[in-house]
Amino acid sequence: MSSVNGAVPTTIIVAGLVLAGYALLMTALNRRMGTSLLVALGVLEILLLVLAGMIVARLASGGRPAELPTLIGYLIAMPLVPVAAGFWGALERSRWGPAVIAVAGLAAAVLMVRLHEIWPVIHA
Amino acid sequence: MPEPMASPEPAAALEPAASPEPAAPPPGSTRTGPGRLLIAVYGLFALSASARAGVQIATKFGHAPVAYVLSAIAAMVYIVATVALAVGSPSARRIAVLSCSVEFAGVLAVGTWSLVSPATFPDATVWSGYGSGYGFVPLVLPVFGLLWLRRWTDAARPGARSRRTG
Repeated sequence: MSSVNGAVPTTIIVAGLVLAGYALLMTALNRRMGTSLLVALGVLEILLLVLAGMIVARLASGGRPAELPTLIGYLIAMPLVPVAAGFWGALERSRWGPAVIAVAGLAAAVLMVRLHEIWPVIHA
Repeated sequence: MPEPMASPEPAAALEPAASPEPAAPPPGSTRTGPGRLLIAVYGLFALSASARAGVQIATKFGHAPVAYVLSAIAAMVYIVATVALAVGSPSARRIAVLSCSVEFAGVLAVGTWSLVSPATFPDATVWSGYGSGYGFVPLVLPVFGLLWLRRWTDAARPGARSRRTG
């Protein structure tokens, strides 16, 4: 139990990139927001919440990163990304709705890299 | 074969709404269509830049004061641009044009400064190296913002345009 299990961040990176690719394909095909994108976004949200829970557990057991305030900021912002993108994208009735979802997928992947930089026990 | 009748000019690909409505009304607002995507990216940068600058200034301002102040300025520009694009009224569009211009000038100036004088920047800002730490998104974002906002500048003087052509 010395570190946050690397499988979850890695899964989030893959899921985020796959979601971004799928969403950009929808944009290229001139498709609007559909249920499939929202479901995929929900999966990403669950993964991010699982990771946030794992990081909180690690903090509770006494671990501390060098920049604790930054990590706490990430813990708060991370689960909000898919939620905000879902609402903002669902408001759009054109191909640009899926494009918003693509941003959320890419952001989730980048967040994993940054998390690892903030606290190396979070493996990416 | 089932090729739908494509619009004649590929430049119109940004807005696929070639529906047979009468006068093509300029997009209702800066926050719909491609603007939706722009605001999402601007919002992301507004959030991350301001959070980052806030933490840096609060916890270790003396370490890299110039970089952190510039980060805070960048964060404010992103916030203003996000809000102005989302509001989309005529005056908000002028504010958006101004903030995108300031942003573009800032990326170019700070990017050059960070390359010429690395010692000034022991820690990076959003705009260091022309935004290289952020996939150069900070460099292209204001360009797309200004291109998007140009639509209203053009739409505001359709008379001027047709008079010139006709």
